[in-house]
Amino acid sequence: MAAVRCVDLCKTYRQGDQDIKALDHVSIEIEPGGFVCLSAPSGGGKTTLLNAIGGLDMPDSGEVWVADRRIDQLSKGALAELRLSSIGFVFQAYNLIPVLTARENIEFVMQVQGVPAAERAKKSMAILEEVGLKGLEDRRPAEMSGGQQQRVAVARAIVSRPALVLADEPTANLDSKTSDELMTLFTELNEHHNTTFVIATHDQRVMGYAKRLIRMLDGRIVDDIEQHAA
Amino acid sequence: MNIVMRLAWRNLWRHQRRTWLTVGAMMFANTLLVFMISMQFSMYGLMIENTLKLFTGHMQIQAPGYKDDQKMRQTVADIVPLAASLRAEFPDEKIAARGQAFALASSEDRSYGIGIFGVEPEFEPQVSSIPGLIKEGRYVRGKNATEIVVGAVLARNLRVGIGDELTLLGSGLDGSFAAAVVTIVGIFDSGVVDVDRNIAQIPLGAFQDIFFMDGAGHQVVISAPTLDAAAAVLPKIVAAMPPGSDLVVHDWDALQPGLKQAIKADMSSAFFMYGILVILVAFSVLNTQLMSVLERTHEFGIVMSLGLKPGQLGRLVMLETTLLGLIGFVLGAIGGVLLTSYFGVNGLSIPGMEEMAANFNLPTRVYLEATPLSVVIGPSVVFLFTLLAAAYPALRLYKLHPVEAMRTN
Amino acid sequence: MRMLPVLTRLAWRYLWRNHRRTIIMVSAISIGVWAMIFMTALSRGMVDQMIEDGVSALPGHVQVHNKQFLDDPSVSNRILISDAELSRTFDSADFKAWASRVKVPAVISSEYESRGVTLLGIDPVAERAFGYLSYDEVEGRFLEGVDDNSIVIGRKLADKLETNVGKRVVLMSQDPENEIADRGFRVVGLFNSDVPGYEDGNVFVGKKAAQKMLRIGDTTTELVFLGDSYRNVEPTYDRVVASIDGTLDVKRWYEVATYLGSLLKVMDGFVMIWMIVIFLALSFGLVNTLVMAVFERVREIGLMLALGMKPSHILGQIIIESMLLLSVGLAIGNVLSWATIQPLRGGIDISIVAQGMEMMGAASVLYPRLYVSDMILANVIVLSLGFLASLSPAWRASRYEPVEAITKVG
Repeated sequence: MAAVRCVDLCKTYRQGDQDIKALDHVSIEIEPGGFVCLSAPSGGGKTTLLNAIGGLDMPDSGEVWVADRRIDQLSKGALAELRLSSIGFVFQAYNLIPVLTARENIEFVMQVQGVPAAERAKKSMAILEEVGLKGLEDRRPAEMSGGQQQRVAVARAIVSRPALVLADEPTANLDSKTSDELMTLFTELNEHHNTTFVIATHDQRVMGYAKRLIRMLDGRIVDDIEQHAA
Repeated sequence: MNIVMRLAWRNLWRHQRRTWLTVGAMMFANTLLVFMISMQFSMYGLMIENTLKLFTGHMQIQAPGYKDDQKMRQTVADIVPLAASLRAEFPDEKIAARGQAFALASSEDRSYGIGIFGVEPEFEPQVSSIPGLIKEGRYVRGKNATEIVVGAVLARNLRVGIGDELTLLGSGLDGSFAAAVVTIVGIFDSGVVDVDRNIAQIPLGAFQDIFFMDGAGHQVVISAPTLDAAAAVLPKIVAAMPPGSDLVVHDWDALQPGLKQAIKADMSSAFFMYGILVILVAFSVLNTQLMSVLERTHEFGIVMSLGLKPGQLGRLVMLETTLLGLIGFVLGAIGGVLLTSYFGVNGLSIPGMEEMAANFNLPTRVYLEATPLSVVIGPSVVFLFTLLAAAYPALRLYKLHPVEAMRTN
Repeated sequence: MRMLPVLTRLAWRYLWRNHRRTIIMVSAISIGVWAMIFMTALSRGMVDQMIEDGVSALPGHVQVHNKQFLDDPSVSNRILISDAELSRTFDSADFKAWASRVKVPAVISSEYESRGVTLLGIDPVAERAFGYLSYDEVEGRFLEGVDDNSIVIGRKLADKLETNVGKRVVLMSQDPENEIADRGFRVVGLFNSDVPGYEDGNVFVGKKAAQKMLRIGDTTTELVFLGDSYRNVEPTYDRVVASIDGTLDVKRWYEVATYLGSLLKVMDGFVMIWMIVIFLALSFGLVNTLVMAVFERVREIGLMLALGMKPSHILGQIIIESMLLLSVGLAIGNVLSWATIQPLRGGIDISIVAQGMEMMGAASVLYPRLYVSDMILANVIVLSLGFLASLSPAWRASRYEPVEAITKVG
């Protein structure tokens, strides 16, 4: 059973009067416990692929399977359920809800899932500790540094222990030291919980942490290498 | 169009929905104001006109005290010659003399106490609408004929019709017993129950005979072509009073003091309501313009660092508001005129209002008229408050520091 | 439902993120709600007083006449039931008050002047409860019983007739055979009344004296009944109809005084229209605020959708935000209206326009009346129409595609 399987995905955008092929017959398979980096220059199709896997965006043709479930034909509601239960997201910066505190942001997904308050509190405190944010739980995003905010986002993505975590340029707004810390955190989670990670990035440093590196260009996969993490 | 103007115009349409919603609030208020104010002006005009036309006229010459007490002996002596001489002096005004007495009118079946008016049949139709409201028979004729016209309700209550006789019993000017038999020649129907129930008219000469008036009467009614003309002619009438007489000339406001006050009372409650509407619109504009200034803080920071002064930015914001207000003004005024014109053609009748309308001598269907004043007055106030509301966001610009502003996102 | 607390907390925090905008909007709503309730209380006060005065001058909540009487108010059209029989029927029945009375048009003459009036032959004891006159405030004295051979007239009428307490006046009317019926009375009292026209037009004599003058034995022309409230006359009406000869004309007050009846209806309509107009004026600002609130957090909405929140939750969140905004405005508006009406309960002097108010049938002191039902109406209108107005921006917010929303540069 593959964690993610894409078959012959195509997706075309119109930008101005040009058609841009964001995905051009892309097929990949990612094993459970994989730690995959998608790397491509801007407009290379990596975010589109990531969004297709997460059910945020529909491909024009082809199939998307997540944990042996075909998702490209699900309804919006079913996709929301799927994201809620089995996929964690980490976006670029500004991806916390600004009016909620760190802890409330983490509990947000669980609350939507209907997890009882006591359990939520236990889990969120535990995860805050795990990502190294103990003591900052009552701060709002505006009161935290970029790295801290991104840690909250990671905590939120993994708190309900999804099998799959999708991250889009997670280090885009971080300095190199903070980037390293974040990637170390990802690696640990990958090893301890066997969580599958798919990370879209053009940061060389991030690619260095990946077990598998997929390079894309103009919507096509041009390179797919297994590598041993540093 | 110069560059600042163009800039203001484009800024206005950055958030189309927001701009339209703000314009919409202005349009709503303006349309409503134009319609309501036009309606009020139309109604007031009709109220005054109908009330005065029915019976009162624009002014009356009376003995002092008669207006309040209406006593028999508060007379105007030699009233017919007085009216005639005034008529010669004031050819533009309509003038008619009247006497008024109280009498018990008896038919074969019934007796009621009513007001008997002695009128000059040739001149009365010029100052009162009652002669024109005869629905059966004809108006009284001649100077001394013992004829009478009665209101429709009175005729019904007395159980009489055209050709029947009525006995009038009352007291004359000297307090002596006055009695006469008169023939009904006409029945009028004014639609005002009090008038139709309580009033009857006979020729003034016969009136003077019956009530021993010795040539006297009680009121000389004067109607001018318009209300304004009436106000202008009043002092001339006063000057034309016979030397040494103590006669007084009352204008319509003194004769119908309730009328102006009813209008005043109605106006003050209406203005309270309009005021609230205007304030709510002003808040809407304040909100929009404040948002539009706050979200451009970054942008304003940049242009200020390029050398623009806060005053210039403030003027830009005020210019935007002016454009916004003008759109609301024009569209609202057009909407109001259209709405008013619709009811100008088809007439406005409010279900359930008939009784209230009758109380103010209004017809059940009112045809509205939009005048330049009634169209411009409401939207102008809204426009003024719109500018006032934008002053706060505009003044905030003076507190802006370019560097800090640019840091905001 | 499970999501309600989360959505409410989000909505509340978002509401205060842009506190300037929220404060402006809350002020507008508060002023609007205040105006709704305040204006309604003033109008209610005026109309209620007009109706109460009018009903007490009629008097009574239910009246009975001969079928022809209202159109042709003559003794010929009297009620042909003797007072003795009426007493047997109604004395034991449990009415708050009832009376039979003689009411006919008449002419009153002093040695100087004559005027048309309504002659009322009454039982002063039975009619005290109707409250149209305060007997104790009569200058001189009021009638003492049905046999009282004196007359009580209005102060204004006395001035016009140039008569006074102790002087004699002559009343003239007709008997059932249309013969002139007249009689002299001595004036024993002068009354004042706030009800427009009442002082000029009504004179009171003892019932028996009136019956004797008009030669109608012990019959009368009008029966009047008092129920608990002018707003609830049906029980009284039903009981009167049930216990009286079917050929007689039984009418509720608003059928006798149709002007007052239509006034009550017009007033209810006005209150509704006024509240809706105010709401509409507010609605533009409300929708605008919501549109702005959605616009400035499109990314965050996209994020919530991406995290698995359902579109219906977004819809709910925006609507809750709108309801919270309205509720804060309503709370302040309600308190404000209560606080401004309370000190005015003693009455507002509007005597500058007294004669104009008289033309409308109102008195010159205005007592605002704050009805709970009107307050509830204002709140219900604001919340329910506010809900409808929020649907469109909320719906649009819930229709965002997560990807587009996130990638949109804020």
